[in-house]
Amino acid sequence: MKYSELITTNRQLAKRVNTPPYNIAILSNIVVHPIIDFVEYACRIMNINATAIVGDYDNIIQDSQKYCDYDATIIFWELCNLTERIHYKIELFNDEQINILLDKTKSEIDYVLSKLNKTSLVIFNKFTSFPFSRFSPNINKLEQFSKKLNQHLLEKAPPNVKIIDLEGIFASIGIYRSIDFRFYYSSKALYTIDFYKSYVDHIIPSILAINGKAKKVLVFDCDNTLWKGIIGEDGYQNIEMSERTKSGAIFAEIQGIALSLNKSGVLLGLCTKNNYQDIEEVIKHHPDMKLRMEQIAIIKCNWDDKVSNLLQIALELNVGLDSIVFIDDSAFEINLIKEHLPEVTVLQVPERLYYYPELLRENLGLFYNLSNTKEDLQRAEMYKQQEKRESLLKKYTNVEDYLTSLGLEITVYEDDQSIVSRLSQLTQKTNQFNLTTKRYSEVDIMNFISSSDSKVLAFNTNDKFGDSGITGLCIIRFDKIQRTALIDTFLMSCRIIGRNIEYAFLDFIIDILKKNKTSYLKANYIRTPKNEQVNNFYDSCSFSLIKSDSNIKEYNLWIKDYKPKRIEYITINYGK
Amino acid sequence: MENRIKNVMSAVFDIPFEKINDESSPDNIMSWDSLKHMQLVVALEEEFRIVFEDEEIIEMLNYSSIKQNIAKKVKQ
Repeated sequence: MKYSELITTNRQLAKRVNTPPYNIAILSNIVVHPIIDFVEYACRIMNINATAIVGDYDNIIQDSQKYCDYDATIIFWELCNLTERIHYKIELFNDEQINILLDKTKSEIDYVLSKLNKTSLVIFNKFTSFPFSRFSPNINKLEQFSKKLNQHLLEKAPPNVKIIDLEGIFASIGIYRSIDFRFYYSSKALYTIDFYKSYVDHIIPSILAINGKAKKVLVFDCDNTLWKGIIGEDGYQNIEMSERTKSGAIFAEIQGIALSLNKSGVLLGLCTKNNYQDIEEVIKHHPDMKLRMEQIAIIKCNWDDKVSNLLQIALELNVGLDSIVFIDDSAFEINLIKEHLPEVTVLQVPERLYYYPELLRENLGLFYNLSNTKEDLQRAEMYKQQEKRESLLKKYTNVEDYLTSLGLEITVYEDDQSIVSRLSQLTQKTNQFNLTTKRYSEVDIMNFISSSDSKVLAFNTNDKFGDSGITGLCIIRFDKIQRTALIDTFLMSCRIIGRNIEYAFLDFIIDILKKNKTSYLKANYIRTPKNEQVNNFYDSCSFSLIKSDSNIKEYNLWIKDYKPKRIEYITINYGK
Repeated sequence: MENRIKNVMSAVFDIPFEKINDESSPDNIMSWDSLKHMQLVVALEEEFRIVFEDEEIIEMLNYSSIKQNIAKKVKQ
């Protein structure tokens, strides 16, 4: 898309995207204004209602304070403008002058990082001397200086800071496509629009991840997508995915990448028009097949259309269509999905097969997770357990009997700092069983935990099939003088819904509130396109609806009026 | 060519296409400041696959001069 079209489209999107505002501040010591349209556009097409502003010119220190309550901050701290024309003057500095400047800049970095320590996401570009010093055979003073600053930055940056390597961008699009010296000398603007496009591609996975938009499932067609050839025609012996042959090597690499995604928590699925026995035989027995039954969470192998199959996959795995990436070699299938399920991200196997691994690598950012927690790594295994639970369900006609047979246990943790990263992730990823859908960073959760005006309750679930990890969260805010409390957040991971755990958890919460001498509780349901299933949750738990419009339902409850459900088949333990 | 220039200007300055005429300049387009001028230059360069020299960039401060400078390069 051309730059002028992008500007116009971005302006139109501003009117259409109605999700909660997401404010981005861009702090800089050079002129970077064109980035605004690129970053807003990239967010808005993903339905994030972003507004970006550029702070005052060369005012990073003061602006770090001014914009500290923004949702995200991007920092362009250019070496070449640390002091006027340092990019060549530094070669004339003596050691003492350099050390003074180094210490000053380090303490400025520390100051900025401390001011932004409550910002959920800080994107900080690594310092680089590359635009001005790539010709000298010796490491010159500018390069040394830049290395020392980066070393300091890497040591000091807390987890909310994402460090971006600009040299990687220069390498991928070329330095002369990245830098425009005309505007550097006339207006202190260093970068081209090509640079900004590529830069935003680099940072957008972090923004998507923190907004709960990372992809969770990768679904493959089989023939000419996981292996070379068509199983139904070429036969078991003739399909290729061996590292030892030219075309086979490409498919072996694709499977390898899929395997490593699976290790980091991405679910793998197959959606293919084939005979099930053929596919099963390959998965179970083919010596070159890397993806085995243990790695594949779901298989839709039939002659139905792929639209219904993908819908079924979303339903069975309990994920939104927008969490799915689908790869197929057929333009027909790809276009069918694009047309009927535009929320699904589709990738078509390129005709030039040697670009296929590159295509997949280019899109790895879609699955990017800010932190890989224990739950991510076990997720694939947990879904396998889920399948076993469901097959057990078929044996019981009465759901209660089935639930009783599971031996459900939850362990509640109160204000536990050791699980902050998982709790933040739950707020970012949970869309369905989420009453208010508020997204919180690790820093936010830490603040709730340490404050005496709030309480963070989370629980772990297990049953006879295994441990589901930390899968539920409730954040309560107190007004102690009034003896009232508000349920700020109440959510549960979709993999444990349908077992009435939410009622057991709420019983437990109310007991804690009673001990805390809270007499009155407020709660809200904030409607999103995905949380319809909890629309009536509070109605079913003795709360009274006091106000309702199309976006929000407000409830209250006199604690003494609460009628506990006391679910008999769930054991509740207190974790701490 | 004129339509393509006007489209770019309309996008960059956020003004209606029809409002752009030979007299259009920073004097009568409020949003046309030095930052927007830079954005206009790179957007036009991308649209016509051309590169302007320093002096041309300074000269292009009204619609008719923009037209001339682009016509010169596109013909060559």
